[in-house]
Amino acid sequence: MTTRTRQFMKYSHTIGLSTMSGRGFYYPVDTAIGEDDRLYTVSRSLDGDPRGIRVTIYDLASEYFGTFGESGEDDGQMIWPTGVARDTQGRTFVSDEFTNRITVFDVDGDFSHSWGKMGSGAGELDGPSGVAFDRDQNLLVVDHHNHRVQRYSQNGIFLSEFGSFGSANGELNLPWGITASSKGDIYVADWRNDRIQQFSPDGEYLASFGRSGRDDGELFRPSSVAVDPDGYVYVADWGNERVQIFDPDGGFVQSIRGEATDSKWAEAFLEINLEEAAARDRANMEPEIKFFNDDPHEESSHIEKYFWAPTSLKLDSEGRMYVTESNRHRVQIYDKA
Amino acid sequence: MVTATKDMQLISHLMRRAGFGVGLPELESLAQNGYNETVNRLLKPTNVQEMTDDLIRRYHHEQSGMMGQNNPGAYWLYKMITTTDPLTEKMALFWHGIFATGYPKITQGKVLNDQIRMFRRYGTGNFRTLLLELSKDPAMIVWLDNHDNHDGAINENFGRELLELFSMGVGNYSEQDIKETARAFTGWTIGNTEYMALRAERDSIWPYGRIAWHFEFKEDDHDSGEKEFLGNTGRLNGDEIIDIICQQESTARFISRHMYHFFVADEPPVPQWPYTPPRDPKAIDTLTQAYFDNDYDIRAMLDILFNSEFFKSEDSWHERVKSPAELVAGILRLTGEFDRPRREILDRSTQAIYMGQHLINPPSVEGWHQGTEWIDTGTLVERLNFASQQMSNVENPGVAEIIGRVIGDGSHQADDSLVQRCLDEMGVTSVSEGTRSILENFAAQNRDLENDATQIVAQMLQMVAATHEFQRA
Amino acid sequence: MTSPANAKTVVVIQLSGGNDALNTVIPYNNEHYYDLRPQVNISQDNVLKINDELGFNPSMAPIKRLWDEGNVAVINGIGYPSPNRSHFRSMDVWHTAEPDTISNEGWLGRAIRQIDPDGENVITGVNFGRGLPRALYAKDVPVASVGNLENYGLMTDMKNEAARNLALEAFSQMYGGSGKDTIAQFISQTGLDALKGADILRAAPRQYSSTVEYAHTPIAQNLKSISQVMSADLGTRVFYTQHGSFDTHSGELSAHSKLWQDVSEAVGDFTDDLKEHGQLDDTLILMFSEFGRRIKDNGAGTDHGSGGSAFVIGGAVNGGTYGEFPSLRSEDQIEGDMRFNNDFRITYSTIADRWLGLDPVHIANGTFEQFDFVD
Repeated sequence: MTTRTRQFMKYSHTIGLSTMSGRGFYYPVDTAIGEDDRLYTVSRSLDGDPRGIRVTIYDLASEYFGTFGESGEDDGQMIWPTGVARDTQGRTFVSDEFTNRITVFDVDGDFSHSWGKMGSGAGELDGPSGVAFDRDQNLLVVDHHNHRVQRYSQNGIFLSEFGSFGSANGELNLPWGITASSKGDIYVADWRNDRIQQFSPDGEYLASFGRSGRDDGELFRPSSVAVDPDGYVYVADWGNERVQIFDPDGGFVQSIRGEATDSKWAEAFLEINLEEAAARDRANMEPEIKFFNDDPHEESSHIEKYFWAPTSLKLDSEGRMYVTESNRHRVQIYDKA
Repeated sequence: MVTATKDMQLISHLMRRAGFGVGLPELESLAQNGYNETVNRLLKPTNVQEMTDDLIRRYHHEQSGMMGQNNPGAYWLYKMITTTDPLTEKMALFWHGIFATGYPKITQGKVLNDQIRMFRRYGTGNFRTLLLELSKDPAMIVWLDNHDNHDGAINENFGRELLELFSMGVGNYSEQDIKETARAFTGWTIGNTEYMALRAERDSIWPYGRIAWHFEFKEDDHDSGEKEFLGNTGRLNGDEIIDIICQQESTARFISRHMYHFFVADEPPVPQWPYTPPRDPKAIDTLTQAYFDNDYDIRAMLDILFNSEFFKSEDSWHERVKSPAELVAGILRLTGEFDRPRREILDRSTQAIYMGQHLINPPSVEGWHQGTEWIDTGTLVERLNFASQQMSNVENPGVAEIIGRVIGDGSHQADDSLVQRCLDEMGVTSVSEGTRSILENFAAQNRDLENDATQIVAQMLQMVAATHEFQRA
Repeated sequence: MTSPANAKTVVVIQLSGGNDALNTVIPYNNEHYYDLRPQVNISQDNVLKINDELGFNPSMAPIKRLWDEGNVAVINGIGYPSPNRSHFRSMDVWHTAEPDTISNEGWLGRAIRQIDPDGENVITGVNFGRGLPRALYAKDVPVASVGNLENYGLMTDMKNEAARNLALEAFSQMYGGSGKDTIAQFISQTGLDALKGADILRAAPRQYSSTVEYAHTPIAQNLKSISQVMSADLGTRVFYTQHGSFDTHSGELSAHSKLWQDVSEAVGDFTDDLKEHGQLDDTLILMFSEFGRRIKDNGAGTDHGSGGSAFVIGGAVNGGTYGEFPSLRSEDQIEGDMRFNNDFRITYSTIADRWLGLDPVHIANGTFEQFDFVD
């Protein structure tokens, strides 16, 4: 029911619970897969509530290992965290599109260093969003209000940039997520242009995936992109509240609307709050509703299992797919079919 | 020196009431079309521009998702300050004040935001359609306990308020009519009533955030028996009750008086209406006639209102006390701070709370009492300080532009032209002679203290923000 | 402007977010407590014992000291019928003293109206924090809401002092006129009242000196401001402030301990300061929260519950425990929560009647029996 054409990925399980501190997430925006097989999800919280902002550490089996990072503008603190990436040494890099910084936490989750200041000059940032390491282990940062991608060394030395405002090939409009494929190509979720763009490792335009719309193969405000070793492109089609998969030639493969089930952490909550669990069991969680517009945001606000605001899509070395949904405070995990 | 013409003053008055006020460049542009065309464009806007949902949701995840108690107000403020169709937002504020639904019992901003969006869609259309949508609105259903209104065990809350506060006003129906109304609305409830009501009561965000609510008509819980309502008998359902309500002259008069209260001049609080005649009974007659002549069409009523002499009369200029939402939105439209989504929106909307208006959290089912009740020592300090801080902050692009224009043509050099120009720029197009001379006196004395042109203008903007006239619409 | 000498003052500290009463006043000898709180409990050794049955959270040492001096009344099992577990609704109930219908007048607003029916003193009630809590709201009752005492007032952002004086003078002229209509007159009067209140309040710190060094937490600083206004003897009778958030769904042990450390230190500093100024006997502090939390923990914290504990502190307070500590046995629980045994309006009624000398019926919305925590 949620798949069309053929099943390429199939649902595995969900991890998550809406919590303002500790085990769980609160408006999570991105997840990094560590070399230690642990997952690092950064929560943005809601504006006006300093609680909630942190990186939560856990693994595929839902075991919880703690958190680091907090709200604020000092070292090691974040206001609008947006992207997270892990390097091979176990350090965590977080972008903050409010403070215009990249903050680096060491392997113990303590503050290591940070860089970035507001501006549009080389190395300056105006709204750093998606982050990813390139094949040389330099950090790619989507500098989204400047409509470009900047490349830094791990210590924050500016190396190069590409992209400028516009809708022609190679131009960007408020880009969001970014990834580098195993062969080094760079893929950018060109958010406002409703497409994914593929660049060479040096930032030369190569190809474009998707066009604006809500049908199969079309995109609306994509937030995040990942690429597997075979060149298949996985897109968090944020404005359509779904995931879409394209083959290496841009052909449509699969569309997934979401199939979340109760996580282990959710089960623990429901075991304590029995009346709520009982009422939930009796409820029809997939009601048929007629909506006043064609924005799937409405449907996702009513039907809990569907993706709601999928802000991040990541693949691990086994080919598993992790979709972080900011409005549902969870990560849905899918296996290769 | 720019002095607004009479037509410009009238358009400025219209834009303060039908919108959130206009600065000088917009006023000059509107004046080229004239008053009548400005009314037409307010009533039938085309090519509406505003901060779009995708932009707001990208940066403000909480305004996209479950929405706590302060986020719907911030979202609404974005719309109020960026829209080119201010009347739709004004009408949403109008209906929110009458159909006042509050956060504490709903504990879910999304559902309340859905109700405000419904006001945007239907607020200037047919009143019958609006009442019907209101009766199906999930936030309203829970707010007034209609999910507890069952066949054989009625809960009168919604039925009573529908007649008393939403349409006819007290004294125009019997207690029996209330009971019959309640019976007619049995079965009008929300889907998954038990689970949703339980979560609302516990303010539950678990496990995965909140789930939005939807309307459901439960045939098997609906009392389909014979009913008698205002002399009409039959197996009346809710929509037929609304038909009958809409045919009543008391309904037309009640809505007309609300419109007069909101757009023309402050009336006493609603509970006093049965005992205090309207300020301008003829105006109410005119609007009532418009209601029936145009098949309950709100837009047609507004058309007649904005073109009436009682609205255009100079006596009504700056007559109403601005509500906090109007004041804050009006200032932010002038300052131009929100050219893109910014974290500061939450602070700005919180300022309206400090001033006594927490959008989506009215003090009671009667909404906010308006007029002088917006003003007490605490709220007045907040209003004055906010206006003065925002208008004197030269980092705000809109303020910088105003200062640039004032200095650009040398208006700042003489006291009288500085005062007049700053009044015009801030949309205060008529001012008492007393206020004018106090401002000119300030300008003269301040020149001895300050010689930086930017500061001279900024401080005058600050003083204009503190005038009675700016605090009123 | 000033009140009669030794006028009684009430200071309300709202613990926002739902304080976990069971980890605040701990039944350390009750086996059910440890059974039901396998993760989120305070060990028997650590509680600050106040009797054979109950003890305070270890971070409450300053309050324990006040208890030992006989100045603390602990009201256990406080709540109201048909408990609501929503922060917002339950807080509304506490603010308005109206559990059954939505109401907009606050109990303290009604108290201020009784103290000063004509609104002669514009600062009979003062809130420290931005925006007016509904508890203090009543129609035509002026109440000052102060974000920061040091720069409270009109146009305080004007850096140039001379220009600001000029602006304030222009403001007094604009608001001092007779006004063209009744609305203008009303706004003018309010403007002048605000100016007057701001001048009075802002001057308060200048008349204040103390050897007490308050902690650098928001709650301690707010209580310091309250002490400064008290010292200036401006006739303020009702003070309000809040601290939070006590909404400890997870990470409770550390978060809750920090919250109580901040509150206890602040209350300790405040009462020391009052003692130094000879005001402790004329001051009554009420600390409440909108609800307690579930008896059973969720592994990392506790979820919304009902029933709770409130504290009344002051030199004239008859120390001790009031109300009954609710049973934790499952058959005595109400949907997994502690069952309340005394209506919060008993406490309101006691404070209004015995402490402030007001007619309690209107303030507490009904006639209630009273506690003996004040004579």
